[in-house]
Amino acid sequence: MTITLALPSKGRLKEQALEVLQKAGLTVILPKDQRNYRAQVDGDSKIDILFLSASEIARELGYGSVDLGVTGEDLIRETLSAADERVQIEARLGFGHADVVVAVPEVWHDVSTMADLDDVAAEFRQRHGRRLRIATKYWRLTQQFFSTMHGIQVYRIVESLGATEGAPASGSADIIVDITSTGSTLQANHLKVLEDGVILKSEACLISSRKNADPAAVAALAQRIKDALGSR
Amino acid sequence: MTGSRAPVFASDLAALISARDAELVDIPVIQPADQFLDMAGEDLRRRIFLTENENGQSLCLRPEFTIPVCRNHIELNAATPKRYAYLGEVFRQRREGGNEFFQAGIEDLGDANRARADARSVADAIASIRLVAPNAELETLLGDQAIFEAVLAALGLPRGWQKKLARAFGNPGQLKSLLADLSSNQNNGSLPERLAVLVAKGDEAGLAAELEQDMQAAGISPGAGRSPHEIARRLIEKANLASVKLPAQAFAALETFLAIRVPVQTAATHLRTFARANEFDLGPALDQFEARVVAIREAGIGQENIVYDAAFGRPLDYYTGLVYETRALNNLDLGAIVGGGRYDRLLTMLGAVDSIPGVGFSIWLDRLEKIAGGAQ
Repeated sequence: MTITLALPSKGRLKEQALEVLQKAGLTVILPKDQRNYRAQVDGDSKIDILFLSASEIARELGYGSVDLGVTGEDLIRETLSAADERVQIEARLGFGHADVVVAVPEVWHDVSTMADLDDVAAEFRQRHGRRLRIATKYWRLTQQFFSTMHGIQVYRIVESLGATEGAPASGSADIIVDITSTGSTLQANHLKVLEDGVILKSEACLISSRKNADPAAVAALAQRIKDALGSR
Repeated sequence: MTGSRAPVFASDLAALISARDAELVDIPVIQPADQFLDMAGEDLRRRIFLTENENGQSLCLRPEFTIPVCRNHIELNAATPKRYAYLGEVFRQRREGGNEFFQAGIEDLGDANRARADARSVADAIASIRLVAPNAELETLLGDQAIFEAVLAALGLPRGWQKKLARAFGNPGQLKSLLADLSSNQNNGSLPERLAVLVAKGDEAGLAAELEQDMQAAGISPGAGRSPHEIARRLIEKANLASVKLPAQAFAALETFLAIRVPVQTAATHLRTFARANEFDLGPALDQFEARVVAIREAGIGQENIVYDAAFGRPLDYYTGLVYETRALNNLDLGAIVGGGRYDRLLTMLGAVDSIPGVGFSIWLDRLEKIAGGAQ
């Protein structure tokens, strides 16, 4: 039986994922045609490589239609409900670092914690005739962090598919939840991260589906990659 | 997945509630989603069935009746007082139980005699359960947001703290961590010197002028969201609060209050004793509570097992007074068979021009069906 391993289809994530496999002695023979999304491992016909977008990998792992995958923890936790019941993080790969954070305009000098934000959200409707608006593409993470962890119920999510950090200036939202790695984009947009506003410290991970077809083979492959990471 | 079949007692129940001076209304199954997300919060998003129409407007399958019934009342510009009854399917994503189930209930809008309307709501709810499960052992838990707020005011806490604690009513974990926070120091973080000076002087106008310049420099429109004045005021408020500590005595009084759990028939006496012992004046909230207890007796449900739990509440900002739920003692794991409460703020939030008081309840018919089977 073959195992399907999904890898990010482009960019730095793809290169770094291939490097990790290389270290584990798995050389991926890239297809000659760049438009082909399948590949093989040199000398191992039992592994199918599938190139997908990082968020598709998260979704397919949830369905169990791929057995293993490399993608960001943020996408796993955002895409899948009850993620830990459906997938398992086998290893943290040490690249693709990004924090999912709550950021507010710098000029909100009175807001430095989630407790402050709770006060602001509670009175927002009374003052402005609408709920506080949060721009994000991470609606699940936002909702869990605000509602479940901090008991903040009254806000609205404005789904944002790009340039989230521009939302407060453009007036489409008041604050944002987004990923940041260096913080420079936030700074350029006059936004600051709340002191207790880090929702998730994400990085690229090797992840297995709990619905995988061949647990023994998946575990062995995951172990092989983990061993290679440990020895670097 | 269980199918959507009206329980056998549905028509009898519809007859009972509509015979209680309430007009049976039809509410469309497909509803605009915004009204629910605006009122109940984004937490609801993962529990409702959302879709979009061609223009990108969010629609959902009716997740509950109270909000659309109130909206319907506002749109019809109907006269008050007015009572509405409903019975129909609701749709929610649940981890257990089916996604489609039936609810029935009564919404009582515009009755100025709140004590009587409250008692009537509880009586209607219990009568509805008794119709189907006459012998079930019931317990009705009753809470009161207004009493809690009166206790917070009597404690002499700063307004900001009162509001914060009032929001956590009914959420013991959050209340506890808030109390811990309030006993410790809060600060404004690292404020630039030019602002810190103005905060120390309490110069709201000067501060707002500085903040407005900052906003313009950052490309944020000072008129679009939080205004410079709003931020300035809160900065000064926070600086003042930082020096206040929650006295141990106030903390102890609050703990004593939250532990009160007594039969509703004796609850008013209990609250008066508590108030006297702490030299609190609970004012109109306690008078209203007492009037409600009398009305409960007059509504003929004085012999029911109704318990006042001082810590019981729902952390949603449209609930203003009474909240209650009825459970079956032999089926506690089912949760509430009925949930009800007073929502005097809801109709204004939904766009009513005049303030219209409201109280209502919803029965979970799938749960009612289970206790009916078990109790007979």
